[in-house]
This record gives sequence, structure tokens and C-alpha cells, in this order.
Amino acid sequence: MKTILELRHATKEYRGVPAVKDVTFTLEQGEVHALLGENGAGKSTLTKMLAGVIAPTAGDILLDGQAVELRGPSDALHKGIAMVYQETSLVPSLTVAQNLYLGDARWFNRLRGIYIAAQQFLQSLNFPVDPTALVSSLGAGQKQMVEIARAVHHKARVIIFDEPTGTLTPEEKHHFFALVKRLQARGVSIIFISHALEEALQISDRITILRDGEYVVTDRTENFDRDRIVRAMVGRTLSDELYGRADQRRARPAGRKVLSVQNLSMGTMVRNNTFSVFAGQITGIFGLIGSGRTETAKVIAGIMKRDFFHGGQIRLEDRPVRYRVPRPAIRDGIIYVTEDRKLEGFFETMSVAENIYVAAMAGGQSRSSMVSMSEMRQLAETWTKALNIRVINSDARVVELSGGNQQKVVVGKALVQKPKLIIFDEPTRGVDVGAIAEIHQLINRLADDGMAVVVISSYLPEILHLSDRILVSRQGRIVEEFTGGQADEETIMYAAVH
Amino acid sequence: MFGVANLTQERIVLALALGLTTVFSIALPGFLTAENLLSLVRSVSVLGILGIAMALVVIGRGIDLSLVAVMAVSLAWTLHMVATGVPLAVALALGLAFCLLAGIITGFLIAYVEIPAIFATLAMGTFIYGFGRYFLITLDVVYLPDAARSIVWIGSGSFLGIPVPVLVFGGVCLLGALFLRYVKAGRYVRAIGDNLLAARITGIPVRPIIVMQYALSGLIGFVAGLVTATSVASMNIRVANSTFVYDVILVVVLGGIGLSGGKGGVRNVIVGTLLIGVLINGMTIMDVQYTVQNVIKSLILLAAIVADTIINPRDEQTAQQGDI
Repeated sequence: MKTILELRHATKEYRGVPAVKDVTFTLEQGEVHALLGENGAGKSTLTKMLAGVIAPTAGDILLDGQAVELRGPSDALHKGIAMVYQETSLVPSLTVAQNLYLGDARWFNRLRGIYIAAQQFLQSLNFPVDPTALVSSLGAGQKQMVEIARAVHHKARVIIFDEPTGTLTPEEKHHFFALVKRLQARGVSIIFISHALEEALQISDRITILRDGEYVVTDRTENFDRDRIVRAMVGRTLSDELYGRADQRRARPAGRKVLSVQNLSMGTMVRNNTFSVFAGQITGIFGLIGSGRTETAKVIAGIMKRDFFHGGQIRLEDRPVRYRVPRPAIRDGIIYVTEDRKLEGFFETMSVAENIYVAAMAGGQSRSSMVSMSEMRQLAETWTKALNIRVINSDARVVELSGGNQQKVVVGKALVQKPKLIIFDEPTRGVDVGAIAEIHQLINRLADDGMAVVVISSYLPEILHLSDRILVSRQGRIVEEFTGGQADEETIMYAAVH
Repeated sequence: MFGVANLTQERIVLALALGLTTVFSIALPGFLTAENLLSLVRSVSVLGILGIAMALVVIGRGIDLSLVAVMAVSLAWTLHMVATGVPLAVALALGLAFCLLAGIITGFLIAYVEIPAIFATLAMGTFIYGFGRYFLITLDVVYLPDAARSIVWIGSGSFLGIPVPVLVFGGVCLLGALFLRYVKAGRYVRAIGDNLLAARITGIPVRPIIVMQYALSGLIGFVAGLVTATSVASMNIRVANSTFVYDVILVVVLGGIGLSGGKGGVRNVIVGTLLIGVLINGMTIMDVQYTVQNVIKSLILLAAIVADTIINPRDEQTAQQGDI
């Protein structure tokens, strides 16, 4: 096999901190090469270097054996390297065809002309996408098809997929794998980043594993099994310890009913949803993205704007409540820990102490309208210790911390407000393994202490590991309920998709 | 003294101001005298006071283009009322109430009706000017009536050799700094400017705080108006149609308060005001034309922004460095 793309002794540093250290990586013509590693292992950084998004601090990129300098994503695309991102890079307000031909437009494009061309092109790839449809009206799977079609249209010889299957339904996934095989048959080389090990084992020819920004191993896929991959990824057999079988411990019994939701409807995302949450146990809500889990939580916590509210009842400790803004919900003890901490989790220009103190003030823990520096210091000390938040110096801004530490700050902000009911939405997204274990421990401790805890996650092992009760959400409502330890992955997944 | 990483825009501008001061002191006779330096600070004190008002709003990720209109119309109205026989104290109270009300209406439009601050304040500024000109006063220029002689000291007096406007500027700075640091509402303003969604989810009363922010801006605008009116013994409301409000924004941005909110404080306003003060004073001594002064001012602003962008790059990578 001929080597098409190569990265030699590449290092990428951000502010002197290496994200990728001295990694060598080769891609052969026509192979599917899976790139595995935990969050923060450097997969994205590595592929971004190959796609010209960022330039390596040191090391070379070789295309067809020649050292090249990629001056940007469009330059890389010009040289035949395309990247398909986790979040799509399509322009939502343009049509499919316009997106396909974006970037190679001549001065004037006749719309009819590009629609016809796009139609033929999409058909040749066997993609059932209408070229005149607006991209914003497409589902995740279709958007991805358009992205791929764009890459193929640009005659890409190398296509890099960053977590391509994360937002796809099982059916779309199937379709996607078939497509990868077809691309491979055309001689296209594919780099495939994934968290799902089974997918990598199923689809790839070779696997490369990174850990903490360093190269660990590359080998043919048939020489790998799940265990070997996990060992290589974490450097120890941590996986079992993290996501051990749920039935090894007994489920906590339900305490008093803290929250009951009846026939809640909101917008198009929540439809006639009914369920309850009890004190002293963890209620896991599993559902695919778009199943209305987050939206339901946000209605309960008063975060959704009222215009979307279509009726139903929420009772907190048997008292009907309806919050229009989060503040009264927080005063009543309902606290939502966001899934998107950068967007709405923390204040990035502030230090850890200031973040936690602002939350304490807003939660109404002290009556005075003045700031107390000693209280701020003391709260910060308590919570950095309790949550094991690691900061280089106490003035460091939160934006400079690692994902795990940022998440702990967000959790600290919630806990300082003394919740009765706490809703964790994807509590370990973008968090390193060590911090995942700590956050799981913390969540368990909260339930042991009698708090009503809800964990929303689209990662099944997490749900199975944490939950005493599992609710499955689909199309805006809770469709199934399991007791922890009673259900296995297949049953739950089946309920979530059918 | 400090590493490259610590070269914030504030420090660049401070260094620039000190550098200019040194150059002017050597090159211009009469620059480095106590008298000239005091008149330098005095000449920019109104700009500085308005800068504090603007800074409070900008830190909360807003902008107040109606600030100068509120200042001019409220004071013109106050003077007009005094001239027509209203007792001074009552006139002052009504003027202040006018500023607060204007701020509250603006804040309401922004916080509850959710109009972008730049449009809401632009429209409010024009409205206040037109409303004031038509309903409240009869002429564009209102002179300080004799009945208001008792407050002339605010603009023209001095205490222990320091002009009162400078003291007022100092006082507003001190109160502004204390507000941002020691009052919870001040912390909330910064939190909202940093991340409005997070502020909401954290339970900060976002909307009332935004209203308060514009009311405060109006209040400080009234103080600035008092200083202006009493130092030149009149109030010309046509200033509301001048580029003065952009000078105020210039001071704020030059000092290093990002328009994206959450960053900076009173110190930045002081530094920005001083640079502009030194520059204008020096150029006036050198007898540089007013239009040329404007060109130089804008070039300095561009230079400060460019320097900041080079030294503290804010690109995708640094923005996303969390998920490497």
C-alpha cells in the first residue's frame, strides 16, 4: 500500500502546553484509519493539523511523500484533504446545492444550473437529499451527507471524519458505514475519529490510539479487541472501574416524591410528558439527541421562555409551580447543571472563587447587598477542596482550566445554591477520565445524602452505572421506565429508538 | 517590569500616556506645570465622568448612545426651570428624576422588550433630544440663571487648590470602583456582561440589573451635566447631536474595556481619559487644528486596538483551547 498522507514528529502547543507531543501518523491509500483516544487525548488537534486548520508547532506534514505546508482549510481542501466536523460547517441559510458549490463559485452562478448539477451529483452518490432544500431544514444525518458530498465534490483524496456517528440514528449510522465503504472503493482514504469502539472495530482497517497527546500504538484492526483498545486508551484497566456493571450494587429505594410532571408540553420538543422524581436516589434519563430531555429539564427549571409553554403541570413537593425565569426555581431548590458549560455554564473572565461566589449571591445564601471578600475566599476554599478543583493559582480565570475542572466549577456553582432537586445534563461531556470518576462519585454522594438527583445522558454506560431508576425519553416524552440493574443496554436502546 | 503576557491594553495605553507626557514635558515649555496639569485633568473631567457611566453599561455588555442627550436635556431643563422661578432644589430633583426615568425606560426597552442596546439607546437619544427641545425648553442654549449662582462652585470652584470638577471625577471613579467590586449588583453587572445566559441560569435577576445599569448611567450623566453647566454657565443641548458620545466611547475602549462585556473597570477609564487629556492639551499648546486633532485621536485609538490584538490574540484557538 502506498502512503498518501503522513505526519512526522508533530507537536502542537497551546500557550506552551502541548496538546499533541511528537506524534507520527501515516495514512495509506484507500484505507479506513480509526483514531481513538479519550477526551483530550489530542485526536482533534491531530486531525486539525492534517486538515490545515491549525499549524503544527514542530514537525512535518507529508503529502505523497512531499513535505507540504497547509496554509488553511481551503488550501488543504485544494490539495485533496477534507474534514467533516462534529458540528457541521454548512451555512444553514443556504440550500444544499449552494452549500455544495460554496467556495468554488464563479462570479455568477445560475441557480437552476447548480440545482441540476447538484441533483445529478447527489444521485451518483446515492444520497436522498433534495438539493433545493435549506440546510437548516435537514436532519443531522442529511447534513452529514451534504458535508460528505461536498468533500467528494472537491475531489478529496483524504476525508477526515470527527465523531461522525454521534448525532446519527442507528439507521443513519448503517447508511453512513455503507457510504464509507463506497468511498473506500473509490480509493479515498478515510480518518475516522470515534468514541464508539465497536464502530471502529467494525469499520476500520487500522487503528491508531493516542493518550494524553502522545502516540501509543498503531496496528491492524484484526489484532485489536475491545479490551486491548481500552487498555491502550487509558493506560490501565480503568474502564471497568468507571463503568462497572450497575447490578453490583443495590438500587437506592425511592424517598418522598420531590417532583412530579404531568402532561407537560412545550414547543415541538416536549409532548405530553409525564414522570416523577424522588429524593435520595438517582433518576437517569436516557434518550438520543433531540428526544426532548434537555428541553423538559429546562422547562422545569424555568429556563425556557414562556412563549413555548403549551400546558401541563409541574408539582414540586406537591405544590404546583411554574417558573418563568430560573431565579425563583433556584430559590425553591431546583437547579439545572447545563450540558453546554461554555455557552451557559460559567463566567469565563472570572476566577473560580468569583464564579462560585456569584452563584452563592444569586442563590440568596446571604441577605446583605454588599460583597464579603472573606465569605468569597472561604466559599472558594470549601468548594475547591470538596470538588478537588485543581488550579495553578487562585486568580486563574475559569476559561484557562481543563474541561474536567471547568465542569467541577459549574457543579460547584450549582451545589453552593443548596439544591433539593439537581438536574445534571450530560455531566461528563468533554471531561477527562479522572474527573469523570470524581464527578460520578460526587453524584452518588449527593443521592446518598438524600438529594433528588436527575442525570440526563446519551451515554448508556453512564446511565447504567449511575441510575437507581432509568427513564427513557423519545420524541418529547418518557416512554419507558426501568429499575437500575434490571435493564441492559440493548433493552434501553431499543426503547429509545423504536 | 512585566512580561509580554501581561502587556494588556490598559498598560499599553498607560505607557503611551506617560511617554507622551515625557515628550511634551521636554518639548513644550509650560506643559509640566502644576497649573497646566490641573487644567489638563479638569478639561477632561466631564469626559471621564461620562466615561465611568459608559463603562458601567459596556461592562454589562450594553452601550448607551443616549448618554449625552440625557445629560444635556436634563440640565438644560433644570436651568430653564430655575430661570422661570422654580426653586433650585426642586428643579435639581426634577432634573435628576428625568435622568433616572430616561434610564429606566431605556433599560426596560433593552431588558424586557429585548431591543438591542445600540438601537434602543440611539432611538432614545434622538427622542430625548427632540422631546426636550420641543416640550421642555425654548432655546438650544440655556444660560445659568442668577437664582442658580449657589451651585456654580461645582464647575468653577476649587478646594485645597484642586478644581472641584477634578474632585467630582475622582469621587465618581471611587464610587464606580466600589460599586463594581463591593456591591452585589456590581458583580452581577460584570457577570451579565461576561455571559448573559450563564447569569440567567445562575439565578441572577438579569432584567432588573440591566434596567438598573441604564438608570445608573443616567444618574452619572446628570452629575456630568451639573459639572458642565456650572463650569461654562450654560447648557447647549446641541451637544447631543455632536460626536461627543463617541469621544466617551473612545475613552472607554481606549482604556481597554472590551465592547464584548465583562472586562475592565474604572482604572481603564482613568487611563483612557488621561491619554486623551494629555493628547488634547499638548496639541492645543502646539496649536494643532481641531480637525487634525480628531485624526490623531482616531489613529491613536486604532493603534491601541491593533497593539492589543497582536499582543493578546483572540482567535478560534484561544477561544476553544478548552477542548484540545
